[in-house]
Amino acid sequence: MSSTSTNTADILFDVRRVTRRFGGLVAVDEVNVSVARGECVSVIGPNGAGKSTLFNLLTGIDTPDAGEVRFGGEDVTGMAPELLAARGIARTFQHGRVFGNLSVLDNVLIGAHARLATTRRGWPVVGAFAEVVRALVGSAAMRREDAELREEVTALLARFGTRLTPRIDEPAHSLSYANRRRVEIARALALRPRILLLDEPTAGMNESETAEMLELILGLKREGLTILLIEHKLDLVMRLSDRVLVLDDGRKIAQGLPDEVRNDPAVIEAYLGHRQVGAQAGRSETAAA
Amino acid sequence: MTAWFDYTINGLIVGNIYALLAVGLALIFGVSHLINFAHGSVYMVGGFIGWLCLTRLGLPLPVALLATVVGCALLGIVIERIGLRPLQGAARIAPLLATIGISFVLDQLAQIVFGPDPRPVPSPLPQWTLSIGGAALGSLDLLIAAIGVGAAAVLYVFLRFTRLGWAVRATAQDRDAAQQMGVNVNAVNQAVFAIACGLGGLSGLLVGMYYNSIDPAMGFQATLKGVVALLVGGLGNVPGAIAGSLLLGLVESYGVALFGTSYRDLFAFVLLLAFLVWRPNGLFSSNRRLPPEPLTGTFLSNRRAVRIPRRVIVAVVALAFALPFATPSSYVVQTLTNGWIYGLLALSLTLVAGTVGQISLGHAALLLIGAYASALLSVNLGWPPALTIPLAGLITAAIGTLLVYPSFRLRGHYVSIATLGIGEIIGLVVLNWDSLTRGPVGITGIPPLTLFGWQLTGARSVYWFTLAVLVLLALLQVRLLRSHLGRTWRAIREDDVAARAYGIRPNRYKAIAFACGGLAAGIGGGIAAHLYSYINYQTFDSQVSILALTMVILGGLGSVIGAVAGAIALISLPELFRFAADYRMLIYGVILLLLVRFRPQGLFGAV
Amino acid sequence: MSILWTNKRGAACTLLQLAGALTIAIGAAMPVANAADPYWVGVTGPLSGQDAQYGEQWKRGFDLALEQINGNGGVNGHPLAYDFEDSRSDPRQAVAIAQKFVGDKRILLELGDLSSGASMAASPVYQRAGLVQFGFTNSHPDFTKGGDYMWSTAISQAEEQPMLAHYVTKGLGFKKIAVLYLNTDWGRTSKDIFAKAALANGAQVVAVEAYQPNEKDFRATLTRVRSEEPDSMVLISYYSDGAQIVRQARAAGVRTPIAAVGSVYSPKFLDLGGAAVNGVYTESNFFPGDPRPEVQSFVQRYRAKYGAEPDTFAARAYDAMILASEVIRRYGADRTAVHDGFSKISDVPSVIFGKFKFDPQTRRVAGAKNLDLVVKDGKFALWDGASAVHAQ
Repeated sequence: MSSTSTNTADILFDVRRVTRRFGGLVAVDEVNVSVARGECVSVIGPNGAGKSTLFNLLTGIDTPDAGEVRFGGEDVTGMAPELLAARGIARTFQHGRVFGNLSVLDNVLIGAHARLATTRRGWPVVGAFAEVVRALVGSAAMRREDAELREEVTALLARFGTRLTPRIDEPAHSLSYANRRRVEIARALALRPRILLLDEPTAGMNESETAEMLELILGLKREGLTILLIEHKLDLVMRLSDRVLVLDDGRKIAQGLPDEVRNDPAVIEAYLGHRQVGAQAGRSETAAA
Repeated sequence: MTAWFDYTINGLIVGNIYALLAVGLALIFGVSHLINFAHGSVYMVGGFIGWLCLTRLGLPLPVALLATVVGCALLGIVIERIGLRPLQGAARIAPLLATIGISFVLDQLAQIVFGPDPRPVPSPLPQWTLSIGGAALGSLDLLIAAIGVGAAAVLYVFLRFTRLGWAVRATAQDRDAAQQMGVNVNAVNQAVFAIACGLGGLSGLLVGMYYNSIDPAMGFQATLKGVVALLVGGLGNVPGAIAGSLLLGLVESYGVALFGTSYRDLFAFVLLLAFLVWRPNGLFSSNRRLPPEPLTGTFLSNRRAVRIPRRVIVAVVALAFALPFATPSSYVVQTLTNGWIYGLLALSLTLVAGTVGQISLGHAALLLIGAYASALLSVNLGWPPALTIPLAGLITAAIGTLLVYPSFRLRGHYVSIATLGIGEIIGLVVLNWDSLTRGPVGITGIPPLTLFGWQLTGARSVYWFTLAVLVLLALLQVRLLRSHLGRTWRAIREDDVAARAYGIRPNRYKAIAFACGGLAAGIGGGIAAHLYSYINYQTFDSQVSILALTMVILGGLGSVIGAVAGAIALISLPELFRFAADYRMLIYGVILLLLVRFRPQGLFGAV
Repeated sequence: MSILWTNKRGAACTLLQLAGALTIAIGAAMPVANAADPYWVGVTGPLSGQDAQYGEQWKRGFDLALEQINGNGGVNGHPLAYDFEDSRSDPRQAVAIAQKFVGDKRILLELGDLSSGASMAASPVYQRAGLVQFGFTNSHPDFTKGGDYMWSTAISQAEEQPMLAHYVTKGLGFKKIAVLYLNTDWGRTSKDIFAKAALANGAQVVAVEAYQPNEKDFRATLTRVRSEEPDSMVLISYYSDGAQIVRQARAAGVRTPIAAVGSVYSPKFLDLGGAAVNGVYTESNFFPGDPRPEVQSFVQRYRAKYGAEPDTFAARAYDAMILASEVIRRYGADRTAVHDGFSKISDVPSVIFGKFKFDPQTRRVAGAKNLDLVVKDGKFALWDGASAVHAQ
C-alpha cells in the first residue's frame, strides 16, 4: 500500500477533467485520474461506464473534447498513439489485438519498435530513405541492436514458462485465446514501458488462467512497473490494486483504497443491488463501449 | 449569365441519370457492405434486354420496362449467389474482387453475343420538350427524374415502414445479430440485390433510350461514376446517393464550362478525392465518427505460405536466363519479356496490397508515369535510357507516393476507391496536359534500349536485360521483407490501431512501401516505353490495374515469387494461346472469381 | 466473333472458322508441303475493346474479298487466307503481334492496325524484319515515315483535312466555325490540320472543344460552344460519337449547319442519329452511289451477304485484301517480292480509288480525291452545291 504522494515528479499520469461526448451522450464526464510511479491503479465500473473510452483517451486513440492529460509532467493531450508509445506508454486491448498473421516472435519484436535506433524517425523524407537503406544494407551497430533485442525477447517469453517459447515461430492466430493475451502482454513489455495500461487482461479466461495472469501482474508490480488496469473480476482488483477508481455513467463516483471502495454505498448501488461487492466473480459481458 | 443556368440544368439532368445507378449501389452497400462493381454491367444488360424487347420482340414500352426490371432482378440474385454469399466469411475485399470478375465476364459475354457495335434504342415516348432558359427538357428527362425520385421515395417508405425493410436495415447494421433475431439474412440480401439490380437495369434501358445508343462497353464508365456519386452521398445512404449524383452532375457540368469537355471526368474524380480526403463519410455525415474496420488483414486465409526451397528458385531463374538459347522463336522471347515488365508491376503491387494491405485499384498509373518520365527525358533531353530508366523509377516513386499520401488516413473500401480515383486522374492528367505529355497524340519515336552505348535491339538482349532488372528488384524486395520493415508493414496490415499503439507511424511506412513499389513500377514503365517505342495515355489503363491485381492474387498476396509467377501466367500464357483472344477478358474474369472463391491465398499464399 | 443466335449464317460461319482454325493448327504442324498451300496475310486490329466494331467491319470486307479471290481460283492456284490477331488497337499488343508475324514464315504481308498509334508502335519491328506493314487506315502523317516497308492507302490527314476545309469554307460558306474533335491522336492531328487550312481559306475557328471517346453527354459542350456564336460546326468524330453530338445539338435547338469528317460516313451514323442527322454534310472517297462498276459490284455483293449497307471501313478492308492478292499474284509469294511489288503496282481495281498507284516517296496513294456528300431523307446523297449558312 503506498500513500498518495504529493510529489508531482512521482506522478506519472495526471489526468484532469477529461470529457468525451458522442452526440448527446457524455461517455466520459470530467474524470480526474492520477497514477504515481510504481502504483497499480484499477478502474472499475458497470458496463458502459466509460472505462474503455477513458483508456482510448489516455492512449491517443481518441481525443478528449475537454480536459488535460499530462504524462511525466508533459502535456500529451490529444497526442497520437505512436508518440505516446515513444514516451513509454504501453497498452493492451479489451479483445486482445495481436497481429494474427505474424509469428509470436514478430509480434513481440514489434513492441520494441518505438525505442529502436533502427526505426528512429530522422528528418522528414531523408529519414525514411535512411531507414530503407538500413533495412537493405544495415550496419554493425544495427545488427548488434537486433541481436540484443532478440535475446531480450526470448527472455521475455520465458517469463511465461513453456506457454509461448515452443510456439515462438507460430503465427499468432493459431494460438489459444489465453496465449494470445499473453503475447499481447509480452509485446507491451518489449516496449520497456514506464506505464502499462491493461484493458481487461483476464476477460474470457477461466480460473486457472486468471490465476496465472494474476501472478504475472503481481510479479510485474514487484519489479516496480506502474500499472493502470481495467478489470471486472473484483477479487483480482482487490489483490492487485493500490488504489481503485470507480466510474459510472462516465463520472467518477468513488476513489480510494480497495477496501474503502468496496464498502462505498454509491459503488454498491451502481452495481445494482450486490450486497457484497466482489462476492461474485465478474460476469462475462457482451461487447461494451 | 443564362449560360450558367444552362450548365446547371444540364448538370442536374446528367446527375439525374447517375442517381438511378447510385441509388442501387447505395442500397447494396447499405445491406452487405459491398461495392458492387458489377452494377454497371447489370445496367448494360438491362439496356440490352430492353432493346431486345423493343426491337426484336416488338413489345410495348411498359412491358419492355417490366421485362428489364425482372430480368435484371434475376441477374442480381445470381450475382448475390455467386459474388456475395459464398464469401461471407472472407474479408471485405473478396466480394469487391468477385464483382469485378463478374463484370468482366458479363461485359465480354455481351460483346461476344451482341457484337461491339453501338445500337440505337427506339424511344416510343411522345417527343415533346420543355424549354427552360436555353436548356430543353424532354419527356425522357422527366421520366428518368420521375423514376429516380419515385424509386428513392418507394425505397424510403419500404425501408422505414415495412417488415422486410426493417429486416434489411437490421441486416445492414449487424448481420449476425439480425440472424439471431430470426431474420433470414440470405433472403434479405437476395431481395436487396434484386431490387437494386432491377433498378440498375431499368436505368440502363432509360439511358439507352436517352442517348439512342447501347453497347457492351457502356457499363464500366457507369460503374465508375456511380461509385463516385455513392461515395459523395455517403456509402450506404440512399437519399444521399441522389444528392451525391446531382452534385456530381453539377460539378462535371461546371468543370466542362470552365475548362472544356475533356475535363469532365477529371472533375468527377477530383470531386471523389476531395470527399475522400475531407469528408469520407459523405455529404451528410458528421466528421468525428470513428473510421470503419480495416478491409484486409483477414483476406489472407490462415494457411501457411508455400515454402519453395532455394535450390528450386535458383534453378528456375537459371532456366529463365537460358531460355533464349533453347527457343529460336523471338516471339516467345518477346512475350516473356513483356511478362517480366508486368512482373515488375506485380512486384510493386504485391508489396503495397499484399504486405501492407493497401488494395490499390489504380496501380497501372505508376507504369504510366514511369513510361512517360523515361520517354520524355530521353526524347526531349536526349539522355540515354541507362539514365532515364532509373530516374523514371525515382520520379514515379516520388509522384506516386505524393499523390496517394492524402488517402493514407482512409481504411477499407475507401482506400481502394481512392486509388482507383487517383489512377484515373493520372491518366486524365496525362491526356490533358498537352504541353508536357503531348496529350492524346502520345510520344512517338522513343529510342530503343541502350546500355552504355551498346544498343539492345535483339529480342534476346532486351529479354536478358529486363529479366536481370526484375531479378535484382525482386531480391531487394525479399531483403526488405525479411528486415524490420517487413514485419512493420505486416503489422500495419494486420491491425493498424495496435501498430500505432506501439510506435509505428502508419503514414511513414505506407509511404515507404508506395515509394519502393513506385520505384519498381516506374522502372518497369520506363523499360516498356523504350521497348514499345510509342506510348499514350491508354497504354496502361484501369484494365491493366485490375489485371495486375488478379496477377498478384493469383500468385499470392505478398509473395514475391507469386507476383512474378502470376505475371507470367496472365500475360505470357494468353499470348501463346492467341486464338482465345476474344475471350481473354472473360477468362481473366473467371480466374478472378475462382481465385477469390476457392483459393484467395493464390498459388504461393504468402503473408 | 459475333454469334447472333438468330443468324444461322453467323453460327455456321463461326463453326467454319473454328474448324478452319483447327485444320490450320494441325496443318501447321505437318511438315509436308502442299502445292495448294494457302498464302497467308497477317491482320492486326481490334476484335475486342472500344474499337471492336470497326474490326468487325474489316472482317466483313476481308471475307467478301476472299470470296471473290478464292472463288476465282485463289492467287496463282493458292487460296488466300488471313490471320486476324486481336490488338484492341493497343500499341503494346500490336508490337507483340508484330513479333509473332515476323517470326511466322508463312506470313507474306501485314494489314493494319486500325489506329495509327498502334501501327507506329509496331513499325520498327516490321521494318527491321522486312515485312510489309500495310496500314490501310492509318492516316497519321508520320506513319509511312517509319520506313520503306510502311505503306498506306489511307489518305493522309495532311491531304484530307484541307479538302474538308475547302468543302466547308468555299463550298458551304462556313465563316465562324466551331470545331468539336475526338481527343485521340487521330482527332488531334486532324483538328490541327483542318484549323490551319480553314484559316488559310479565310474562315475563323471561333471555338474548339475536345471530348473523350467514351463521352456521351455533349450538352455542356454545346452550351460552351454556343457562347462563341459560331455560324457552323465541324465534327472530327467517328460515327457513334458524331451521331450523338448531332442528335443532342438538334435537340438543344442548335440550328447551325454541321459538317463532319469522312469517318462518320457509315450507315450506323444514320441509324444512331435518326432524323436528327438529316442535313449533315460530309465527304467520302467511298460512296455506294458511285456508278463505277467495281463499286456497284462490291455494294451489291455486300448487301446480299450481310443485309446492310457497307461503310468506309468495310470498303477499305475489301480493297486492302484485293490489293494484297494482286501484289502477290503479280510479283511473287515472298516478302521481298511483295515489298518491291508495292512500289511498282498500278492499275489495281479499287472500290475507293478507281485504278491507282502508290507515290513511292510518300508510300501513299497518289492523287486521291473525295466526294462531297450530305445526308438527305435518311440517306447519304451527293451534295447539290448549295451553300449552307443561314442567318442565325
